[in-house]
Amino acid sequence: MFYRQAGIRHTDYGADRELFPIRADRYMLAGLAVLALAAPVLVSDLHLNSYILPWLIWTTAALGLNLVLGWAGQLHLGYAAVMAVGAYSGVHAARFGVPWEGAILIAGVSAALIGSLFAVTALRVKGLYLALTTLAMQFVMDWVLTHSPGITGGSHASLQAPPFRLLGQRIDSDAGLYYVALFWCVLVTVFLLNLRRTALGRALVAVREKDYAAAILGVNSFRYKLVAFAASAFIGGITGLLLVACFYFSVSPEQYNVNVSIQVLAMVIIGGLGSIIGSYFGAALILLTPGIANGLFASASDLLGLQLSPETLAHVPNAAYGALIVGFLIVEPLGLGKIYGNIRNYLLVWPFGYVKK
Amino acid sequence: MEAIFVLELAVNGALTGLLYSLVAIGLVLIYKSSSVPNLAQGALTMMGAYLVLAFAQQAGAPLWLAIPLAMVTMFGAGLAIERVALRQLAGRPIVMILMMTLGIEIFLRATIMAIWGGASRPMGLGVSYDPLFVGPLLISRVHLIGASVAVGVFVIFLFFFRTRLGIRLRAISDDYTASWSVGIPVEGGIALSWALAAVVATVGGVLWGEVQGVDQALSFLLLKALTVAVLGGLDSIGGALLAGILLGVLENVVSAYLDPLVGGGSRDLVVAAVLILTVMIRPHGLFGRHDIERV
Amino acid sequence: MTAETDAAPILSLNNVEVIYDFVSMAVKGISLSVPEGGMVALLGSNGAGKSTTLKAISGLLKAERGRVSRGEIDFQGQQIVDMPPQARVTMGIVQVLEGRRVFEHLTPDENLEAAAARSLTSGQIAAEKDRIYGYFPRLHERRNAQAGYLSGGEQQMLAIGRALMTQPKLLMLDEPSLGLAPFLVREIFDIIQRINREQGLSVLLVEQNALAALEIVSHGYLIENGRIVMHDTADALRANSDIQEFYLGGSEGKNFRDIKHYSRRKRWLT
Repeated sequence: MFYRQAGIRHTDYGADRELFPIRADRYMLAGLAVLALAAPVLVSDLHLNSYILPWLIWTTAALGLNLVLGWAGQLHLGYAAVMAVGAYSGVHAARFGVPWEGAILIAGVSAALIGSLFAVTALRVKGLYLALTTLAMQFVMDWVLTHSPGITGGSHASLQAPPFRLLGQRIDSDAGLYYVALFWCVLVTVFLLNLRRTALGRALVAVREKDYAAAILGVNSFRYKLVAFAASAFIGGITGLLLVACFYFSVSPEQYNVNVSIQVLAMVIIGGLGSIIGSYFGAALILLTPGIANGLFASASDLLGLQLSPETLAHVPNAAYGALIVGFLIVEPLGLGKIYGNIRNYLLVWPFGYVKK
Repeated sequence: MEAIFVLELAVNGALTGLLYSLVAIGLVLIYKSSSVPNLAQGALTMMGAYLVLAFAQQAGAPLWLAIPLAMVTMFGAGLAIERVALRQLAGRPIVMILMMTLGIEIFLRATIMAIWGGASRPMGLGVSYDPLFVGPLLISRVHLIGASVAVGVFVIFLFFFRTRLGIRLRAISDDYTASWSVGIPVEGGIALSWALAAVVATVGGVLWGEVQGVDQALSFLLLKALTVAVLGGLDSIGGALLAGILLGVLENVVSAYLDPLVGGGSRDLVVAAVLILTVMIRPHGLFGRHDIERV
Repeated sequence: MTAETDAAPILSLNNVEVIYDFVSMAVKGISLSVPEGGMVALLGSNGAGKSTTLKAISGLLKAERGRVSRGEIDFQGQQIVDMPPQARVTMGIVQVLEGRRVFEHLTPDENLEAAAARSLTSGQIAAEKDRIYGYFPRLHERRNAQAGYLSGGEQQMLAIGRALMTQPKLLMLDEPSLGLAPFLVREIFDIIQRINREQGLSVLLVEQNALAALEIVSHGYLIENGRIVMHDTADALRANSDIQEFYLGGSEGKNFRDIKHYSRRKRWLT
């Protein structure tokens, strides 16, 4: 339809290796970029900072997890712990007087250091056992945070982030915070898009498919596992800090507990393992579902004249969230990215369905 | 004095640990037959306890009837979960299977909360809270009863796995294709193991409900059960029993010394540390098979 | 195709095709039949499609993402192509898998018990076990050991015994001689022949060891590249010069020109 392709043909390697080999994709992206830049004008402030901004940040987190899970194939059930390291180290640095640019770097580096600890486990075990260890590490992190007043400022306290400034500019408007989140999200996306064209990306995929086969081919599988965990933790740490700087404005342990890890994991899986656009879709769906379910349930019970306790209504969003995960895995285990891919593949050469794609 | 204090901690820890084993046995049953680590076992435990209360308080059945009724219902629920959710995922990457059981966990927990509310309720078995005096030791009655039931369940499974049905289940966990080749219905066997795990979860739910009240904290038993199962070897029921005792003793004794230093609540830390150390040092646990690379 | 079956067939395949993963065709139209109470061998080299044919009959293709895409499989006058493996075992078809595949963590006794037909009472199971231990006295000696630690020959005996516990009418064996010493192969083949004679059990034997197989069967099919290329009585096959050269190792002192000559003739066969 709008792709107007009759198959994908390239005449040289350059064309084949382009980031977006199809012209319609490039136009579409240009359109999206314009929309993204104009969003503060087009969308009300309320929608901008309560829907679009968190969506971008959580998408970035999902992309970071996708790097280690979808590309390197290493199970990671403790991503929120890594984000917490970034958030706390960054906020402490900023409170100490380090400029925010430095605090962001500190967040990334410290998260990468802690994240590499997770990789040490990956040296020893894989699959289920790696998942269980990372889950246990998440619990350890939860425990450390709730039991270290020195870090968190008390067990139920939240730590206020100092005013957010970048490049000497105080950033407090909705539009400003939005642009910061957008910039970081686009940066991570471009990094991941390019990753698949690099030797690093190919090595990660080789490690994912069969680590010892990769090792036989001369890929140092432990090194690449370490790189994957560290890079993903770097992204996670900065994202964790930006979540505080742009959205929560203060940091407390329950923002990064085990449920958050599971939530990011759900975004990645529902989006599709290893799918970049899937992470965008997955984050949107996971963030929106509770609200939608709540609205639907409330209006349905109104319609039927049921008297539901507020407690019931409070748990409906969570039930919907669980049902969404279960339902998706039954219907399309490869996620929204796969569904998008199917539609795109169909439209790509429409109406010439017989053409080789 | 000190020695008696430690002994008392150890004995009560062992009893609590056997109660962990009770939850872990469900995990092991499912893992044994289908290599699925069921992260929804905590939620199943909670569901079992709430069903007993529903039959006892809302339907007015006496407890001795409510418990078997809940077990039967949970048997069906176990079959349904396997049939609807897990069978589709056979052969998919482990991360999807983990996510599926997590999704089931979230769904069950939230649905139970939505139906029955979050307030903690007593199970009402009527076990006295007065401790038993055994020589110089004080021992909790509930824990003693729970531990005996756990051992009882273990003995029942010991016999069950020697019956024809049990032997077939063990055959399935050994080799799917060979089981098919001699006419053993593999899918049916896996479904049965889910159903049995759900029944065991009900037993666990009743006892833990008596110990700590019926509320969503029951589902948090998952971490402890998981640790016990991994420490015991994930596919060994006897391993789960011993690992439960071990974890219970460790947790009780270590946290008694650690708590004053860190200001309390070090139990979860001990459990998580045991899980990490087990996986790092001896991934197949105390009694597990060595073929852990089948992921 | 000169061999005529004297009894009515218990199993017949008509133009069966098998596809794996929706793409690769492993069996390209096979027709064969096993007479009631007869012993038939399916011979051929590696990858010819022998195991796939057996799995198509036993229904185990489904465990490997394969399916019968065309053709009919007829067992005692009933179409079985769409039946699940359990139903086929109940009807009396059982396959002994290649590479033995005993239940390693169970004892031989439990291996037999696991496979026992579900209609049997425990008394009947005990009688069946005794019958099987009668055929394989070595298994009886080791009945309470862990099956994974049995020797290769004992495991093969256990696999056959386990299959017999399902009370089959048709026993299919996939490479029972694989990795066994010649005297053990003889012993196992003798027992198979004895069971066939005493119980009237029909046998379909898949083998690469054509020499041993042709000694005990009455008919043989030769399969190459997923097609049947020859079918005759065992005696005729043994006498056939092509078979002798390709499968029985009966030729000596060939030079390189003759080897090229084989491959030409082999192609002609397919």
